[in-house]
Amino acid sequence: MYSDAVLERVRDPKRVGVLPEDSPEVGTGQAGTLDAGTMARIQIRVKDGRIVEARFKVFGCSAAIAAACLMAEWLEGATVTQSRAFTPGQVVDALGLPEERVHVANVAVDAARQALDEATRKAGTGRQR
Amino acid sequence: MIYLDHHATTPVDPRVMKAMLPFFSEKFGNPSSRTHRPGWDASDAVERARKQVAALIGASAREVVFTSGATEANNLAIAGVAAAAPADRRHIVTVATEHKAVLDPCRALEAQGWQVTVLPVAATGLVDLAAVEQAVTPGTALVSVMLANNEIGIVQPVAEIARLAHAHGAIVHTDAVQALGKLPIEVSSLDVDLASFSAHKLYGPKGVGALYVKRGADKRLRAQVRGGGQERGLRGGTLNVPGIVGLGAACEVAAQDMAVEMLRVSALRDRLWQLLRDEVDGVAINGAPAPRLAGNLNVSFDGIDGEALLLAITDVAVSSGAACTSAEPSHVLTALGLGTRRALASLRFGLGRGTTAAEIEDAARHIIAVVSQLRAQSPARAHAGATAGGPA
Repeated sequence: MYSDAVLERVRDPKRVGVLPEDSPEVGTGQAGTLDAGTMARIQIRVKDGRIVEARFKVFGCSAAIAAACLMAEWLEGATVTQSRAFTPGQVVDALGLPEERVHVANVAVDAARQALDEATRKAGTGRQR
Repeated sequence: MIYLDHHATTPVDPRVMKAMLPFFSEKFGNPSSRTHRPGWDASDAVERARKQVAALIGASAREVVFTSGATEANNLAIAGVAAAAPADRRHIVTVATEHKAVLDPCRALEAQGWQVTVLPVAATGLVDLAAVEQAVTPGTALVSVMLANNEIGIVQPVAEIARLAHAHGAIVHTDAVQALGKLPIEVSSLDVDLASFSAHKLYGPKGVGALYVKRGADKRLRAQVRGGGQERGLRGGTLNVPGIVGLGAACEVAAQDMAVEMLRVSALRDRLWQLLRDEVDGVAINGAPAPRLAGNLNVSFDGIDGEALLLAITDVAVSSGAACTSAEPSHVLTALGLGTRRALASLRFGLGRGTTAAEIEDAARHIIAVVSQLRAQSPARAHAGATAGGPA
């Protein structure tokens, strides 16, 4: 039912973890709900417009885990500008997700965009000081 | 891979395999051939197997009808009783936690106008005898209650149910597939009229089973597979001689090993539960701890997505709380009152003859690691002091 790309991320997920939320370099994004069965939390550490570290936490099915994991993979090393271009469709294609699991890609991308927004906001606030 | 799915199927025991092998190409006769030695040899082998099956369940050999498996045996029991029932008995009583091989034939009869009462079970998995008493009427043709459940291992009080059913003249059938060779069965003590068995749950081959038909109960049973008149007219078709020999041998082996094996396997099962309970928060046994099959443990995990749990388990062959064919929760677990998410986040362990103490330690370690990993990566634990896991 699932691709190897999903299975390997479920069985050996990389970049699971938490970054210090209060750090001026860290942006945190969260999407989905536990009640709905899928929730992803993505955090990024940004230095000079580039994401130097990405971490995630996720609750949900295998596809949800793989989507959050893949998002963290893509974010780490990318620039903030590049990262804003990631779409749920790209996640679906990369993981070969079945149609009924497409919503989990939206959750992962939503969480990533919120993290990018917060990091950008914090960076702007920092410059104003 | 550690195999802990013995409720699904079992490997063929080498002693069973040895007994079967000559009947594929060396002793290949048709037991219905009455005119030559190959036919007589095949017939002798089938009759020996019939005695072996009968001996394990305390029946006489004449009361054993061979089938292609337990699903056919269940269909013969249910559709066969219905076909022979008088017009004023068009009611069946069964239980919500039965196997689909019982529920589906009952549903098929319901579609033909039969009244079907599906009794609920308590959170223990046990059916309420008062509910049985209330459900059975003089219009009841058949009461079908599983002896030991294939998912939660719960052993139903079949003898008491039979007494209540017989008081109204109903036929009593039990699906005893999981119980055969796992706990002592005396059909006369159980007081059932019909009982279904399968070889492949008992270290025998797939594709063969039997229906116990109590002497006299054949008058209230009509064949569902016709042609050839085999099995005293109750099941037509050339007999699967190697399979039947395998079923017989499996019964004989089980009779020898059962007492010791029950103790050994239940100790391993209890050790598995102890390891899980000691290391994992929010784990619970589904159904009552007892009376339960020695090799069964069915547990649910709080705050875990069931599908992710199953995919993350790579080293242990277990069954999930999902129905065989879909991501729907098991009808057995939901009948116990488990919510969808909790039912899906359940694992069924079926320990068996080959299971070792070292395997149980390794399996527990792997399951604990997977559950811990899934919980650790849940955002519900992202903040210090946050509560564990997701919703139940």
